[in-house]
Parts: sequence; C-alpha cells; structure tokens
Amino acid sequence: MSLPNHVYRELEAVVGSRYISDKEYILAGIRQPAPHRPTKPPSPVAVILPGKTGEVQDIIRICNKHNLRFIATVSTLIDFAFPTGADTVMLQMKRMNRIVEINREDRYAVIEPGVRHGQLLTELMKLGLSYPVASVGPGCSVLVNFACSSGDSHWEHGASRTNRYINGIEWVTPTGELMRIGSLASNAGWFCADGPGPSLRGILKGFIGHWGGLGVVTRIAIGLNGWKGPASLPTKGRSPSYKMRLSPDCHKVAIFKFPTLDQVRDAMIEVGKAEIGQSVMKFFNATAALLATESANQFWELWKTGLFQKELARPLYVYLAAWSPKELAYEEAVLEEIIAETGGEPVDDSIQDIYRENMDFFVLVGFLQRVLRLGGAWAPCKLSGDSIAHMFEIAKAIPEFMTQFIEQGQIFAAPDNFLIDPLEYGHGAHIELLFLWDRNLPDWGRIPMDFMRRSIEEDIKHGHHGTMPPRTIDGGRALGPHFSNVHLWAERIKEAFDPKALSNPRP
Amino acid sequence: MTNIPVKERAPHRLEDFRYTMESCNHCGQCKWVLGPKTRGYDFAEICPIHKEFHFDAYSGQGLINIAKELLDGDLAYEDGMMDLIYSCTMCGACDINCKSIRDMEVLDTILALREHCVEDGQGPMPVHQQWSDYVRNNHNLYGRPHEARFDWIPLEASVKEGASVAYFVGCTAAYIHPEIARDTVTILNASGLDYMVLGPEEYCCGGPLWRTGQREAAKRQVEHNLQAIKNRSIDTIITSCAECFGTFRGFYPRVAKMEVKVVHISEIIRDMLAEGRLSLTSPVEEIVTYHDPCLLGRLSEPYVPWNGRIQSFGYHDPPKEWRRGTNGVYDAPREVLEAIPGLTLTEMIRNEENAYCCGGGGGVGAVFPEFARTTAAERLREAESTGAKTIVSACPFCQTSFEDAISAGERRIVYRDLTRLVAMALTDNGEEKG
Repeated sequence: MSLPNHVYRELEAVVGSRYISDKEYILAGIRQPAPHRPTKPPSPVAVILPGKTGEVQDIIRICNKHNLRFIATVSTLIDFAFPTGADTVMLQMKRMNRIVEINREDRYAVIEPGVRHGQLLTELMKLGLSYPVASVGPGCSVLVNFACSSGDSHWEHGASRTNRYINGIEWVTPTGELMRIGSLASNAGWFCADGPGPSLRGILKGFIGHWGGLGVVTRIAIGLNGWKGPASLPTKGRSPSYKMRLSPDCHKVAIFKFPTLDQVRDAMIEVGKAEIGQSVMKFFNATAALLATESANQFWELWKTGLFQKELARPLYVYLAAWSPKELAYEEAVLEEIIAETGGEPVDDSIQDIYRENMDFFVLVGFLQRVLRLGGAWAPCKLSGDSIAHMFEIAKAIPEFMTQFIEQGQIFAAPDNFLIDPLEYGHGAHIELLFLWDRNLPDWGRIPMDFMRRSIEEDIKHGHHGTMPPRTIDGGRALGPHFSNVHLWAERIKEAFDPKALSNPRP
Repeated sequence: MTNIPVKERAPHRLEDFRYTMESCNHCGQCKWVLGPKTRGYDFAEICPIHKEFHFDAYSGQGLINIAKELLDGDLAYEDGMMDLIYSCTMCGACDINCKSIRDMEVLDTILALREHCVEDGQGPMPVHQQWSDYVRNNHNLYGRPHEARFDWIPLEASVKEGASVAYFVGCTAAYIHPEIARDTVTILNASGLDYMVLGPEEYCCGGPLWRTGQREAAKRQVEHNLQAIKNRSIDTIITSCAECFGTFRGFYPRVAKMEVKVVHISEIIRDMLAEGRLSLTSPVEEIVTYHDPCLLGRLSEPYVPWNGRIQSFGYHDPPKEWRRGTNGVYDAPREVLEAIPGLTLTEMIRNEENAYCCGGGGGVGAVFPEFARTTAAERLREAESTGAKTIVSACPFCQTSFEDAISAGERRIVYRDLTRLVAMALTDNGEEKG
C-alpha cells in the first residue's frame, strides 16, 4: 500500500520535501532482507528524516491521527530495525546526529540518535573519557544501543551493561507526548536517570529495551568512564590489515585456556573478586577466527588447522588497562596468581599476538562485522543474563540441542562458539551463542528458527535464564513465565503507552 | 589498423554480483570510516551521497539493494531513479570500507547497475551520452578538435620518437588543464628520461564512459589505445591523470590483456629523485595537505579477473585476489612532496584509502554541479582543518572540483597539482613557471 497523498503532504509539511520520500527506489534501499532472513520484511510506506524532537512529535501525532504504524531506526543491522507490519512509516534518525554536551566534571555525554559509536568514543578519548562501546560495530547508533536495544559490550566486566549507563532521557511516547525522565524532568540537568519515586527508565529500557515498540527516544545522557589510553587511536597500516596497539606500559592482553568450563568460570569469578581487568570474557572461537582473518578463504585456512578449536575451546580473555605501570604490574601479578590457582595456561603465542596487535577489539570492536563474512547467514541466540555460574550452566547444556544440528550438517560445526562476559566485576553475566549456516542448503530459511526454538525449549526444560524473551507475542508468552511473567507487564505497558498499537508492535 | 581482439574477462553483469547483493547485512560500514581509523565526531563519514541525502538508498548498501530489486524484477524504473543512481561519485570508499570486513564487491555492483540501466535504455544521463558522442567523433570528452589535443606541448619538450616509454596525457590535461601536461613534460625533460607521446593516436582512455555504465563505448577506447601502444612497441605508460591511471589499471584488464606497465608521474619523480636524476632545490614555502584521488589511491590496484565459484560459507574457488585499496599509490606523492625544500606536509583525517571524494567523480561533476561543489567544499573544510593553505592532488578532475568549490565559496585555500609544486622546486628561485 502507498501512503495516501494527503497524509504524505501532512508529513512533508513537518520536515520539508527534501526529507521524506515514498518513491519505490528509496524504499528499495531499505527493505531488503538481511541474509539470515528467508523472507523480505514489510516495506515501509515512506521514509522520513526528522531533524529535531518537535518534528518527531508531529510525525507521531500524524501517524496516530491516521492509524499508521511507525518505527524509528538509524542503521538496520538487526531484525528489530524493520517494520513488523504493513503501513509503517519509517523515521530514520540520521539528521538528529548532534553530540549535545560532553560534561567532563559530571562525566556524561548527551547525544542524539544519529551519533555513532566510532564518533563518540574517539571524541571522548580526546578528553580522557570513554564508555562501554556496544559490540555492534562503530557505525551503529550509541543511543539505540543504550536506550532501545540490549547493547552488550566487551567492557562489561570492568564497566557494566548499557542500561546501567543511562542518565537523563528525552522520549517521545507512542502518542507523541514529550517525556523527560530522571533529573531532566525537574530541570536539574542530565546527570541522573531516576528522580523521586518509581523510575520510568525501567519502563523504557529495563534489561533488554523496547526495540522500537515504545515510541522514539530523541536524546539521552550516558555516563562516562575514564580512558586510560592516548587521545587518539594509534592505528597503523592500511585496509584491511590495520594494527592498533596501546602502550604496553599500561595495557596488556592475555588469553588463557582451561581444561574445563568450570575452571574458566572459577577464574572469571576470582578475577572479578580481585576487581582487576577492564575486559574479561570467555569469547567465541569461530568468531575469533573470523575476526583474525581477512577473507572467508583465509578463515577456512586457519580453521582447518584446528588451532582455534584447540586453543580457544575454553578460553579466558583478559585485557588489563591501568593508569600507571605500577598499577599494571599489580594487576598482572594478581592475574598470574589466579590463573595458576585455577589451572589455566596461556594460549599459543600466535593467538596472543593477534590481540596484542589489535587492541581495538577490546576498545571499540573495530572489525565486528567480519562475523558476517561467511555469506552473512548468521544469528545470535540466548542473549540473556544472570549470574556467572548460571551462565556456565547454560553453556554446559548447549550440546544437548546443538549437536544434532551439527551432525545433520545444518549449521557450521563450532560447538564452542559462545560468549560469556561478566558484568561489574562479576555481579552478573551475559551469554551469547552464535551459529552460522549455509545459504546454499535447501530450505535454509528454517534453520535459524528451528535452532532458536530448540534453544528456548532447552532453557525452559532446565529452568535456565538463557534466552532473552523474544520480541514476538508467542515467544514472549513461552518464555515470560520463566522471567516473572515479564510478558504480561510488557503487554500492559504497551497498552498504556500505545493504545492504538502503532509503535512497531510485536508480530 | 589491426584490432586487438577484446574479450570479456571479468564479471560485469548484475547477475554476476548476486552474492554481494544477498550478503549485505546493512551494517552501515559502507557509510563510515572504519572504527580504528576514526578520529572524532567530524570527518567520520565516508560516502558523499549518504552524507548529503541521508536516505539509505543513497549509499553503497542502498544501491546494491536497488540493484537486486531491479535484477529480480521487484522494482520498475521511475522518475528520479537515474538521478539517484548517477549521483554516486563512484569513489569506491564504500567498497574499500566494506572489504575491510566482508568479501563483497560493492563498487563493481554499482558499476554493473549503471551498465544495466544503459542496456535498458534508462542511462546514462544526457551529458554522459554526449561524452560518448564526443569521444566517438572527436576522441576526447569535451568535443574539442582532435587535432588540438597536443596544442599545449611546449616547443622545448624533448619528445623522443621510438622511446619505449610514453606519456599518456589524457583529455582533461590536454584540453582543460594544459599546465599539468606542460609541468609533466618539464619534469620528464629535467630527469633526462626518454619518452614519447602518442600524438594523434592518443584517444580518451575511456574511464568516464566506463564509470557511467557505457562499457561498450569504453571498450572501444581500450581497443584503440592498446593497439596504438602496441604499434609503437611501448612498454611503459606514464600518466599525470588519476582517472587515466585508474582506468588503465582498473578497467583495461577487465576487457583486454594488459601487457603494458602503467606508472604515475609521482612514482617517476620519486624514483628519479632516489636515483639522483632529479633535484628539487628551490624552496617552496607552503603548508600543504595532499588529497588522494580515488583512482590513484584506493581504486588503482591492478584488476585481476576472477571467474570462479563461491561455495558454501563464502569460500571462493579458486582463491580470489581482492582489491582492497591496500596497495594504491599513496606513498609516492607524499615522498615527492616531502622532498620539496621548505614545504610542510600535513595530513587530513580521511586519507589514503579512506580519502573523502572531491565530488567530481563518476560523471557527477557534469550532471550535479551543486552536489559536486558541496562535496568538494566538505573536503576543503577538512583540508583547512589541518592548517594547510594549499590542497595538492594529482588529478585534473579533482582540480576542477576543488577550484569550482574554492571559487564558489570564496575560500582562501588554493589548489595545486603535484606537478606544479615539483616544477616550482625545479626552478632556480622557486617561482611559478609554466
């Protein structure tokens, strides 16, 4: 369906003719299915580029008036960035791309949706500041990762999840009302997300975000950390062989391997108790091989050696970042003791070298999209969080459902391709399982759905908090009871804020 | 004249790029400088059309999405669509940034899209069609008399018939910026290198036709020029034009067997300086920044035809030699500039393979001059941010773009071709000459 002419004119009057289009060739530029989707998402009926918050309000009010669905996006890397149904107006927030404020004293940055991770982090570094960059790639929106989606990062051990970093929020609700949350609501500035009484931060973001289902966040303040590195990234080399090594006086990478997952868990917990390390992870091994290579062919050459399968089946990645050589020496000494006590040993030097020479991996996940290199047919599952010990219990149960997919040749044989990263020195943890499949297989479109369904069934069977409740009605109802009936709360909140169910409702 | 048989050596039809079209995950890397090379909020965008128009359709990602819908019959031509497709400057920044992380051929898909539009009678834009007519009738892009192609040549030029090295001047240096050709000859003469020019047998290199989707017309130029080169037993071509250089390296091998070596004047100067055959003695007291032309930098790696199969999980059989901008001509111009006494070279954030386009490429300067000017102005803003008073490059198309934008914006920065600065440093007192 196309947008009725009079509605188009109303929207055009808000942003001007340059910033709206319903031309098919403009829509074609955004409605393509990602390679992991067997079907094309519904095409938006128009794309509109608001330039300020007032315009967003006007657009949403027009959508409400004409019962048009809407969704706000910046980049469209993930499925949730696509319309869930027909007659959807897509707001692309790229023109709202200002860094509104960087407050060095109170350590927060106020940003609009169009600001990207690469931009914000490198701007902050000039001021000796940083933040946990979500592991989505430097071209993705900071605001979306912090306020709307889950947004996990490689820095969660020494920092936290994005939901903990949100301060003031400016939010246009699904009916077009302007909400200011936290200290901002009292005209007290951006420094805090919670005012007196119950906090709306949880309504908007909670643990996993609303994924476009609760209006449009137009500005947020995020908390900042100190940056222990130089004012700009000392990257050397040319595409695609960049190297980025931070000073060994204050930065060190060490990767260890362990005989069992329990030992990895124990080491992770001990490192957290010692409160050392910026980044600590049990990282994916196939993903690591993809990040370390520069083409699919190179990946296959490496993978066939078996090195990453052997060395990185049960690894612990540790990135130490210190203010001084003395502090680094202390952290190294503590780490050495923990690794010795828990039975770890360093992985092969060739692997250590990769990470020593590419510290951007820990800082801004510079080459994340290499994960997609094997044709793009890739998906993450699990994605939830709980305690470290619980995450490892989930990991140990993965073979119960994954093995059959591997044995049947449906997915790439990488049973250890999962991540567990702790939060806040071990006060919680996050898990992701990445699986890849071959688009040359007949009926490949069923593979990701079947795999994820089996993963959920396993979690339910074991009572695991492994899978983030999916943004579908059926998925929410299946998993909700295992998460304090979160689906019922989510449905009620949705009804209260979006009575016409226009803000990209769940499919 | 004996024709060299030209055969198709490289994938160039839309269906040849289905893997690329179906592999895109919309990650956005085609629009942004890769993270480890980003230096702040400013100068982080890499795609001129996306920066200007913001819609996803205006980007490498959007164009390959459009290509796929056209290929699958899901999209029909409509008013405005050619404006979008021909607003891309074909600078290849999307391609290089994508290839840092993916095995995709974004720019080749956009080239195939333009060719597809031409085959369907929808493209190119009328001005580009006129180029083709001019080239067919006058052998140059501007419809000027062919016999005037070498009017610029100075009397003192030491052109040596029978030399195995030829200076390929190119249409734009021959007719629009003859000072580049004169300075190049001055430098070659000073070095004592034996060289010749093709004279009336030099035709347009075909680059602008290739990059506007007029592949058949461009192939005719390849055929003619390679025959002319062969007839004179030339083994090395020197260019002072990035467009010619990138076309010889990037297009000719797609349609013909290249048996001639192609080098850029900056590489000749660097080598002559190293060998002591050139000496730059006159100080040139300028703070300059160097702009890497797309076709001399990231797009200048020799094209190696690949017609293999993409197997499961992206394995390319046989292995493919990727052009990722790693080995473009980046060092030679910088080394030459650094050899000029008194000159201070500064660097822009987006440099080498991440250079931001001048705005004039891909036929855009001729069709959308306002947009070309805006893009050039963005690059000049970046140049000025380094403290440079002069922006230097090695491409007559870039020169036109920058000079237009400087003049329109009443900017104080000036443009100079690399050869101009070298010619100045060759003189006794560093004064402008030529």
